[in-house]
Amino acid sequence: MSDAALQLDDVIVRAGRRTILSVDSLCVERGELVGLLGPNGAGKSTLLRCLLGLQGGVRGGVEVLGRPVGDLGSGGLAGLRRRIGYVPQILPARSEMPLTVREVVAIGRTGIAGLLRPLKRPDWQFVDEWIERLGLAGLAGQGFGEISGGEQRKTLIARAMVQHPELLLLDEPTANLDLGWRERIVRVINDLHRSMPLTVVLVCHELEVLPTCCGRVVVLDAGCVVADGRPDEVLSTARIGSLYGPGLAVVAASGRWAVVPGEGVHA
Amino acid sequence: MLDLTFWAPVMAGGVLAGGSSGLLSVYIVGMRIPFLGVCVAHAALAGAVFGSVAGLDGSMLLIPALGGAAVTALSLGLADPRKLNMDANVIMGLLFSITMGLAFVGIGLFPVLGRSDNDVRSLLWGSLLYCRWSDVWLMLGASLALGLFVLAFGKEMRAILFSRADAQAAGIRATGVWTGFLILTAVLMTVNFQTVGGLMIYSLITNPAAAAFQLVKGNGRAIILAIFFGAVSGLGGFLLSAVTDLPSGAVIVLLSAMLVGAAAVVRALLRRP
Repeated sequence: MSDAALQLDDVIVRAGRRTILSVDSLCVERGELVGLLGPNGAGKSTLLRCLLGLQGGVRGGVEVLGRPVGDLGSGGLAGLRRRIGYVPQILPARSEMPLTVREVVAIGRTGIAGLLRPLKRPDWQFVDEWIERLGLAGLAGQGFGEISGGEQRKTLIARAMVQHPELLLLDEPTANLDLGWRERIVRVINDLHRSMPLTVVLVCHELEVLPTCCGRVVVLDAGCVVADGRPDEVLSTARIGSLYGPGLAVVAASGRWAVVPGEGVHA
Repeated sequence: MLDLTFWAPVMAGGVLAGGSSGLLSVYIVGMRIPFLGVCVAHAALAGAVFGSVAGLDGSMLLIPALGGAAVTALSLGLADPRKLNMDANVIMGLLFSITMGLAFVGIGLFPVLGRSDNDVRSLLWGSLLYCRWSDVWLMLGASLALGLFVLAFGKEMRAILFSRADAQAAGIRATGVWTGFLILTAVLMTVNFQTVGGLMIYSLITNPAAAAFQLVKGNGRAIILAIFFGAVSGLGGFLLSAVTDLPSGAVIVLLSAMLVGAAAVVRALLRRP
């Protein structure tokens, strides 16, 4: 059995005549935390959707957790998705139904429990355990729509984690959050990866979101992988300049990365 | 003094239509698709029209009406808004316009064929006052089927209410469960339409949940309270109408709307420091 958590070979995704993703080869080993960077429209979210089997019009080989995504039927896909925790980029529109934080987290156990089987006591205990672990205990009975954006992100991470996933896909988990909440979410990602055998693919725009345990960065631009390696190899001022424009400098400190206006790399 | 032999099925029909529509309202309001009622009504009308054109009459028209509503619900359930790049309400608008067009084409055939369309019209615009025990049993059967479905697939429905796309990504069989729910909804609404009328049903698939969501948090509590508000609207509206001699459907609609207003006032009072 391969040690790869995910493997893409000659993958092409088109939207009409436009190619939105073209990856010759990409392999992520089990247990890795990989940062997936790139400007808007680079194909980051499309790549995650390919991994989940949610993207139409995919050509090439996509293998996730040892399963060929393109060959799976709806049952096989559902089974694979239960092994993947996914935190989407866009928060669901506020539902008219006032679901509580605890109910939203429990959605992660729904597919695992299976059809026609109610959630049992161990399921709810697992839900409460993750609510506690992510510091949401005081909010468990609150409506999801009533809590802050950062708390909602944490709730969705808890929802993904109660699936007991082998692979965690995080699509810009700190989008629209203030500095304080961004740091809390980064700490959560770091702690999760250090405390359990979990493969993480973290899509982000900002280098600041890469946690200290991130050992590899893949850069996408216009649907193609343009760089792949250790953060110190990939995150150069020249590369950031080519992606986002000139006048930006990469700063590294204590295993974290940031971009500031200016020239050169500051360590 | 009420003649219970006549009025008992009317009251039972009111409670059942209110309670079952209250349960539906939790999902219809929760998913922001109140237009579903109009869409299903016109699909049922189109089915009944073509059933009548084909020679069916009386209660037999319920069969093509149910067929039309169920096929529309099936189409709606299988249509993935993300893949079609359309909002669910836009898809419903499209289906509504198609079924309405079909219904009116069919109605246009009645004068050509020298027939009356009264049977078809009464199917969709029934009155609670003409509800008989045979109608009540039909409503009870459809309500029980929906209730059992929600009991069996409650956790999946909760996930779909939160986000259908997220539910799919989490490995939940969202399309199958949602399609099943829509088909049962179409059946229940068609049965309720022909018994108690469209106006009342449109209000009862919205107002009970709108009132319940003001007062409670959580899926289970919202369902119980919405069923209660629906049943209170159905029975209370009927009793008020019997006392005041006002039209029952209109009184039920107004009572259910007043419950939403009362719930909003209670919520505002509870939030005051």
